[in-house]
Amino acid sequence: MQGWRLFIFLVITFLVTPLILVILFSFNSSALTSLPLTGFTFDWYRRLFANESFWPALTNSLIIGFTVAVLSVAVGTLAALALVRFKPKGADRLMALLSAPMMMPALIIGIALLVFFKRLLDVPLGLPTVILGHLVIIQPFVIAILHARLATFDWSLVESARDLGASPLRAFATITLPIIQPTIVGAALIALSISLDDFVITFLTIGAGNTLPTMVWGLVRTSLDPTINALATLLLVLSIGSTIVALSVSRYRG
Amino acid sequence: MGVLPALALWVALFALPLCFFFIVSFWSVRGLAMRPDLTLQNYWATLRDYGDVLVSTLLIGLITAFVTTAIAWFFAFAIRFRAGRFGNALLFITLIALFGGYLVKIYAWKSILGRDGIINAALLALGLIDEPLTVFIYNANSVVITLTYFLLPFAVLPIYGSMRAIPEDFVEAARDLGAGSIRAAADIVLPLSEKGLSVAFLMAFLVSVGDYVTPRYVGGGASMMGHFIETQFSFGFNWPMGSAMSFTLMAVSLVIYLLLRALFRRLVLP
Repeated sequence: MQGWRLFIFLVITFLVTPLILVILFSFNSSALTSLPLTGFTFDWYRRLFANESFWPALTNSLIIGFTVAVLSVAVGTLAALALVRFKPKGADRLMALLSAPMMMPALIIGIALLVFFKRLLDVPLGLPTVILGHLVIIQPFVIAILHARLATFDWSLVESARDLGASPLRAFATITLPIIQPTIVGAALIALSISLDDFVITFLTIGAGNTLPTMVWGLVRTSLDPTINALATLLLVLSIGSTIVALSVSRYRG
Repeated sequence: MGVLPALALWVALFALPLCFFFIVSFWSVRGLAMRPDLTLQNYWATLRDYGDVLVSTLLIGLITAFVTTAIAWFFAFAIRFRAGRFGNALLFITLIALFGGYLVKIYAWKSILGRDGIINAALLALGLIDEPLTVFIYNANSVVITLTYFLLPFAVLPIYGSMRAIPEDFVEAARDLGAGSIRAAADIVLPLSEKGLSVAFLMAFLVSVGDYVTPRYVGGGASMMGHFIETQFSFGFNWPMGSAMSFTLMAVSLVIYLLLRALFRRLVLP
């Protein structure tokens, strides 16, 4: 038992420490991201907000994130509602197929999309192509979350509504939707969090312009002061923040 | 019916681009322009010029996948059978770590392992070393550590998912029949969590062999395929070559995975 406690402690420390360090150094007055800590400051945040590429990057990230969240939840809810009516084996197979993008390296999906958009379709790269790219990798997460919730859904409630004369659409709007609404909100926030955090696919399909992660990448190569930590902390707060809210409202646990 | 939009998206933006990308691997390049062709030249060139990189990439990927799935299995086991009421809290932390900060995580490890990093600063402050050590970063170890860190939450979830389906009675029955706790874990829990393990291993393996940010950022550049594949698109303008490299990497990785899974099943499943 003692051994297990130590093991759990070590894994949690391993998972959490690097992120805490990033946050800590964003408030540390030294220009070096190293120990010892020298004092508290907001300077790196001031410098970040004064950086002229920060605000457009934030705007782009939010536009992409919210569009992807709405679209992926619409498509994902429809898919999950249909999947629960499949036989378990068929649903499993279809889920595995739809989840294939989770298994592929983002680099290969991103490059394939780049070649597809540029050479086959000849469309200009920009926010719409990034949104399409994000939908592909995020859709499996959304479907999995909603499918897990609907697997324990009490369909007799909907049947009662139908027996009492409600149309399928009305039964959905007044019974199903309100019950699964927390899960839908949760799935949307998870989608937002993955989208805000994605670097590889965004970098390959955006053409010109920045999002927060591509800005981190640019800063990493040009400067080494803790402005990166401030930006990284902001990114963590956004993506982890929406994950925490998502897990709380949807009660999803894997 | 409702699956159709999701399926359409999958076909239009995943299957179709990948198929076209595969076709491009048989094309040739004249000057800077791609020409539709039917040549295996790019595959030969991949094996000839990048054979050694391919081998080192697969090794790093295998080590990462083994380390990640091993830690993930024990951690999932702890959450499911040992943590009691804290299990949910541990799962919560795992999910939070899953969805936050791909680049941030890599950056964090650089500031821990780097020449001016935290480990060096701590060792210097303790007087254990006189000069910063460079052994912590820009090598295979730093790549494996960073990739493991990033992939661990992804690996815990499918394994935990398959363990959740194992009734606790099974483990207790084994214990009642005289099996020690290690024996019960190895004979009961391990075979029954095989599906989750396979998914976790495959994901960790494929994602790490295909990553290019980690090797470039904490691996000191030119040691993994992802780096060279990305270069074909950012600087090299040889898309057919990049495509052949991608599909060679994926195909070899899948074959290795299937062999390992067959071996694992023979060893572990009754």
